[in-house]
Amino acid sequence: MGVPFEALLPYAVCIGMFGFSGAALSKIRAMQNGGKRARHSVDQWDRQMMDRDRRLTGFLRGQTDNVKAPAGFELSNPWRLEPGFT
Amino acid sequence: MSARQPRFNQHLLIDTTPLPDSIPKVQEVGSSSAPLLSASFFIGARCKAYNDDFMQCKTEANGKGEMDCLREGRKVTRCAGSVLDDINKSCLDEFRKHWECLDNNNQQLWQCRRWERPLNNCVFEKLNLEKKIPGVPENETPVHLRKRQIFAHSVITQ
Repeated sequence: MGVPFEALLPYAVCIGMFGFSGAALSKIRAMQNGGKRARHSVDQWDRQMMDRDRRLTGFLRGQTDNVKAPAGFELSNPWRLEPGFT
Repeated sequence: MSARQPRFNQHLLIDTTPLPDSIPKVQEVGSSSAPLLSASFFIGARCKAYNDDFMQCKTEANGKGEMDCLREGRKVTRCAGSVLDDINKSCLDEFRKHWECLDNNNQQLWQCRRWERPLNNCVFEKLNLEKKIPGVPENETPVHLRKRQIFAHSVITQ
């Protein structure tokens, strides 16, 4: 006899729902990251490099392979301050 | 008063006073993180002497090396810029493919060996720079020359 497909329909529904939400979440993550996969396990070195990328290109995930930095790059690294109490 | 850790998340100060003219100007390296990671071993191959000088200067200065080590730092910047310039001139396509793959893979070198091999071959032929991982034991193949990368996500890109 044939395959009892009515019994497998709920599994198809579950897999479809999981798949759709997974795809939607991954599309949202890609949109947030400029079309690339998200960074994970980002440590202080990676945060510093991503900050430098933002100073170079304007986007946190932007990349460029120019040899020379744009004008004013060497002056754009900010001092980080605390609010002063007097 | 007990000392507490500083919390640097409120204000930023961008100081736009340029350096005095007595310090020679050097063009900063304009590559972002993925191309730099991709070219890092070639920069190490060509600029090892300058990099070691700079690191030794900073270590010996014990925290005061920001002004004292500017000269070595200029040499490091110029050398790294020259390596990137040469790679851009001769191996641009393989370079771009490799760093785009790295950017998509959380800057993990073992996910992108498929694009690293043609880049290594091209740079070795045209620029005579070889990627060597320091500290590999004698009887093991270096990790970038192995056929199978055990942590890679997919078999195709490793």
